[in-house]
Amino acid sequence: MRKTARTTLRFLRRFWRGLREWCGDAAYERYLRSPGTRSGSRPMLSAEKFYVEQLNSRYSRPNRCC
Amino acid sequence: MKRILSIAVWIAIAALGAGALGSIALHRGEPLNATWFVVAAVCCYLVTYRLYSAFVAAKVLALDDTRATPCERHDDGRDFVPTNKWVLFGHHFAAIAGPGPLVGPTLAAQFGYLPGTLWLIAGAAFAGCVQDFVILFCSIRRDGKSLGQMAREEVSERGGFIAQLAVLAIMTILLAVVGLVVVNALKSSPWATFTLAMTIPIALLLGLYLRFVRPGRVLEASVMGVALVLFVVVAGQWVADSASWSRVFTLSGVTLAFAIIVFGFAASALPVWLLLAPRDYLSAFIKAGAIFSLAAGILFVRPHVLMPPLTRFIDGAGPVFAGKIFPFCFITIACGAISGFHSLISSGTTPKMILRESHARFIGYGAMLLESFVGVMAMVAACAMPPGVYFAINSPTSIVGGTGDAAAATISGWGYPLQGQTMTDLAHKVGELTLWNRAGGAPSLAVGMSQIFSGTIGGERLLSIWYHFAIMFEALFILTVLDAGTRVGRFMVQDLGGRVWKPFGRTGWMPGVLLSSAIIVGMWGHFLYQGVVDPLGGINSLWPLFGIANQLLAAVALVVATTILMKMGRLRWIWVTLLPMAWLVIITMTASYQKIFDGNPRIGFLSYAKVLAAQIAAGKIPADKIAEMQRLIFNQRLDAAVTGVLAAMILVLIVEALVHWYAILSHRKESVLHESPYIVTRWAADFSGVAHGDD
Repeated sequence: MRKTARTTLRFLRRFWRGLREWCGDAAYERYLRSPGTRSGSRPMLSAEKFYVEQLNSRYSRPNRCC
Repeated sequence: MKRILSIAVWIAIAALGAGALGSIALHRGEPLNATWFVVAAVCCYLVTYRLYSAFVAAKVLALDDTRATPCERHDDGRDFVPTNKWVLFGHHFAAIAGPGPLVGPTLAAQFGYLPGTLWLIAGAAFAGCVQDFVILFCSIRRDGKSLGQMAREEVSERGGFIAQLAVLAIMTILLAVVGLVVVNALKSSPWATFTLAMTIPIALLLGLYLRFVRPGRVLEASVMGVALVLFVVVAGQWVADSASWSRVFTLSGVTLAFAIIVFGFAASALPVWLLLAPRDYLSAFIKAGAIFSLAAGILFVRPHVLMPPLTRFIDGAGPVFAGKIFPFCFITIACGAISGFHSLISSGTTPKMILRESHARFIGYGAMLLESFVGVMAMVAACAMPPGVYFAINSPTSIVGGTGDAAAATISGWGYPLQGQTMTDLAHKVGELTLWNRAGGAPSLAVGMSQIFSGTIGGERLLSIWYHFAIMFEALFILTVLDAGTRVGRFMVQDLGGRVWKPFGRTGWMPGVLLSSAIIVGMWGHFLYQGVVDPLGGINSLWPLFGIANQLLAAVALVVATTILMKMGRLRWIWVTLLPMAWLVIITMTASYQKIFDGNPRIGFLSYAKVLAAQIAAGKIPADKIAEMQRLIFNQRLDAAVTGVLAAMILVLIVEALVHWYAILSHRKESVLHESPYIVTRWAADFSGVAHGDD
């Protein structure tokens, strides 16, 4: 019983994390963790600037299909 | 023992799939249960994924998991982001799944359920999935380069230019045709128009919230947005019931077309965070929810398919669109079986986020199988309504007659019994003023979906809510394609214009932004307006044109893929991409020829122009209508010219590729592969893209 609860909880946690990654909710956290950001080769962006920059880049190439 | 068991399970799946396919192909008499469609499709997908995609992965592409992918080499947390394969599958599927697999099969249902269903399954397994998978692989090996860049480097400069032009052409026609689908869905429908109009202020609200209140908190903003959208779906009924408000939101086709043109311009020129992105978030969540619900609804309700396997319209005289089953069934189904547009996604964002080469099989091949399944569900939804109702919704008045009784008599005369009162009652039940002459696929799909949904929850009482939920879902994400496409089109126009005059190419220069937005909106807006005023219904000419452009782009992608396989020395397996490419060239060439030159004015653009010109010459057209007729003649000639240019482009590319292939095979030219150098991965074999400590 406890094992099932633990498995369910782990599945839900993974699902939640996947959902956040899928919709872009976790994008800034991911950005802060990435080696490119940590290396300090480019100035680190604030959450707001990162959000706008991401959107500008995403919607300047085909990203929604017919 | 385990191996024997596995073989036995796969033989059982294959046998079940063959049995289900046999049932839907050979069944006659009593209506067939839709469960057979689901079983046939799922078993075929499982078998082709297990066998054919594994063969392509191992033999044709020889995927190599020891090789570092672009996101490992360039991990910057922005574009190149290592992503879990399930999450990336979701990203990729959300990007490739558009209105095509819903609208195409709905329109192709006029041939009966069989040809469309077979092509959806076989076309996806052997053409569409292969294209997506191979192009994704090619782009992974080239640091995520686009299709145009790969065409330029691997085929020729001219090949790259043709690919770029093909993308612009398909974009223009695509945006016009999806705009037309929305116009026909909202025309004379205050409820649907109100609901969709309200998604704009909701999106603006979310845009401001995500920009200034809680930057980037997409999930919480989307939950609020989806709740508001569901509320306005219900509130639409109050608007429809109020005489004064209902008048405000009852709009004609032409008014709606202009509203959509203005909306497209605004979405292109305004900051992306304000309108475009929040609408896209809403659309993604509602799309995922609606597709999942449709699948669950079909399994729960298990509706009967009332459309016959083949209708009399395989002879080319169909009321929804004219043209014989070959090539027009393939051209019409388009995206559900193979879509050239997918090659832009497979060579865009996805390769920059993929963790390992082996994931390309699951993401490239697997996501397209799911898209094909969406197409099969749309086919089931369209065929689950009585055929008479299907033809009544999708036929233009110029073919079936203007009044309800005359149209019902025409449709009954075709052998699909229908009474005028049936349509009046149905329109009343779904909360619409009329369901006659609503071509474009969206309203008939919404009727099919609402019947399935109401069979699951709410019964007939909720039919009108479900219908308007389905219309909102379709229109919302169709308009997302329209605004995102307009913006990308604007960048393409700026890129091309920037070659002539440098400042025009600067994406931040406001006059350039406004002018390029106006150019791209003017291009698709012209075709949209032309479709709205076309007496044959617009869809009749625009959807085949879109199908031709889309399949042409797929042929371009497969030319690039074949060239790369040849250069990789995989000559033995080249048929994997060469055969679908040859098939696409055959269908696009035949369809283009017929659309330009066919003697039947409903098929051939030039013969329709000739008939109209003869009517003017014979004095059959009243003086006040002559200018309108002349515009129609010009539009038919323009459509013929566009089709001709598309066909010429693919012919030039094929000749270019053949010359190139001959030079490689005869060793006259050195075969240079433009792959990124091999770098061994440093990630452990079980690394799943999840940061340490997250699990």
